[in-house]
Amino acid sequence: MGLDAIIELRGIRRHYVMGPTTVRAVDGVSLDIHAGEFVAIIGPSGSGKTSLMNIIGCLDTPTEGSYRIAGEPVEGLSRGRLAEIRNRAIGFIFQNFNLLPRLDALENVELPLVYAGISKRERKARALSMLAKVGLEGREGHLPAELSGGQRQRVAIARALAGSPAVLLADEPTGALDTRTGAEIMEMFHALNAEGSTIILVTHDMGVARQARRVVHILDGGVVADEIPGGAA
Amino acid sequence: MRLNAARESVGMALRSIRSSAGRSFLTTLGVLIGAGSLIALTALGNGASRAVEESLKSLGANLLIVYSGQVKGPALVRRSLSNIVPTLTAEDLKAIRGLALIRLAAPESSMNAQAKFENRNISASIVGTDWSYPEIRNFHPAVGEFFGESDVETRRMVAAIGSKVAIDLIGADLDPLGQRIRINGQPFTVVAVMQSKGNDTTDAQIFVPISSYLRSLSGGLRFAAIDVQAAGMATMREAQYAIQDELLRLHDQPSMDSADFYVANQLDVLGAAQGTANTFTILLGGIAAISLVVGGIGIMNIMLVSVTERTREIGVRMALGAKPGDVLLQFLVEAVVLSVSGGVLGIIAGVTASWAFSRFGGMAALVSAESIVLAFSFSLVTGLFFGGYPAYRASRLDPIAALRYE
Repeated sequence: MGLDAIIELRGIRRHYVMGPTTVRAVDGVSLDIHAGEFVAIIGPSGSGKTSLMNIIGCLDTPTEGSYRIAGEPVEGLSRGRLAEIRNRAIGFIFQNFNLLPRLDALENVELPLVYAGISKRERKARALSMLAKVGLEGREGHLPAELSGGQRQRVAIARALAGSPAVLLADEPTGALDTRTGAEIMEMFHALNAEGSTIILVTHDMGVARQARRVVHILDGGVVADEIPGGAA
Repeated sequence: MRLNAARESVGMALRSIRSSAGRSFLTTLGVLIGAGSLIALTALGNGASRAVEESLKSLGANLLIVYSGQVKGPALVRRSLSNIVPTLTAEDLKAIRGLALIRLAAPESSMNAQAKFENRNISASIVGTDWSYPEIRNFHPAVGEFFGESDVETRRMVAAIGSKVAIDLIGADLDPLGQRIRINGQPFTVVAVMQSKGNDTTDAQIFVPISSYLRSLSGGLRFAAIDVQAAGMATMREAQYAIQDELLRLHDQPSMDSADFYVANQLDVLGAAQGTANTFTILLGGIAAISLVVGGIGIMNIMLVSVTERTREIGVRMALGAKPGDVLLQFLVEAVVLSVSGGVLGIIAGVTASWAFSRFGGMAALVSAESIVLAFSFSLVTGLFFGGYPAYRASRLDPIAALRYE
């Protein structure tokens, strides 16, 4: 099972030293996620799921343990190398979209391609097709402020997809949306997953998590359950 | 790839500057004023230097003046001759004229005297000299002819009068040529009116043949100075030494320390004047450079604010794959674009101001290519230096904290 895992976490710990106390945000997580999976990581706030997500997203490095993404070990890498891995392997989707307000939809989608060093022409072509894929044809020139919440999140999804990453990493992607729009976004995740995208969804909302094909429960920095909803674990 | 990144950074910087155009303009104002004043102030300095140079050169080209008496320290070219005890003789003049590196030499003595025409009376500076004076001093008659060799030999009582004398003494409605004036009671016939030098002291002189001057006005046989035009700029120093050696021999004196004459060299005065003007230029340039630095601090300040305001943006960019170097480059380019555009606008403003100074302000302003290059490179370095720290701060941000920044 371990060989073809896209995400391979082994004994991951992330401890923060705060004065005299040590906070064990992640305390010994081992987890494999394979290509094509749709995994929800769920836990209440303070459970350590955000710290785990930061490690999976290569925004942070573990205090202890080993982590390979797409076969590549990330321990001890420089900030620059981590940035390259994020650029190539991970597509981030945030709760609050995190679009750059002064860039239009097309330019926002182009951003990861800019940092991948892709030529302007190819960048534009790929960004246009990604926007079309999320149903935003004709909105390329709109600034984020001119788009609805659902549209903004779709721009963010197009941006996450633009670099053809190994994993889509979504942090509460429906948290800032109303129920109906949230459901549309979830449908889009299902469609992307059906096309082969690997999706990791971090949430505290059981209703959202249940829609994934696999749910990993985190509590006090550790995995307490790893189940397939409506099926055998 | 790096070049590509730099081009992307310029694009991003321009976009960011455009999106806050008002603030960006105010930020560049410091550098703009710095660069502008650097150009304008050094232009004024250069103009002053050029003006001094020209006014000295207008005294005559390749000018050496042999003065009677002693002087300590650097000798002046322009010096009042009326209080000098004359020690120079016709023999000295002849000897100097015989030297190889000398083109022309003219005696010169002067006194203040009363000049009278009809019932008008003015005080004028009377100069005794000979025919080569106009050529040496580059000071020619406007009308009439300066007295010649034979006039000097025959001690003719003729006078070439300055333009101010012509107006003050003879009046504007009479033709001065041929009029008889009296100097200390002696009658002289006006044969020439000199061109105006635009300088009251120069234009209030009356020139008479040195022979007539000595016999009728001052008495004695010696004169106060000999004006010399050297054969060329390059050999002025040698000409000076040749004159010194020749006169030491004639005056039977061992060295310049005890000599009863000295030789003033235009080069020395020119050098001193230019030294002063250069100091002036450097001083003004220094003030301007300080204001450039102040402008740079303004840029640093606004860039630090900008980095703080855009912390979230930096976090997003980092999450999407921006390396610390990319972020550094983005903010550095932004600072440099701000500072260089301030510099370029400042250069335009400075050149315009210099032009206006000389066109409308009556001041000599000379924009030098060096000052433009200096202002440009100064603004570039200012941007790099003062943009460097904020850009570094931006590149060191922790992506997680930056993403969460409100």
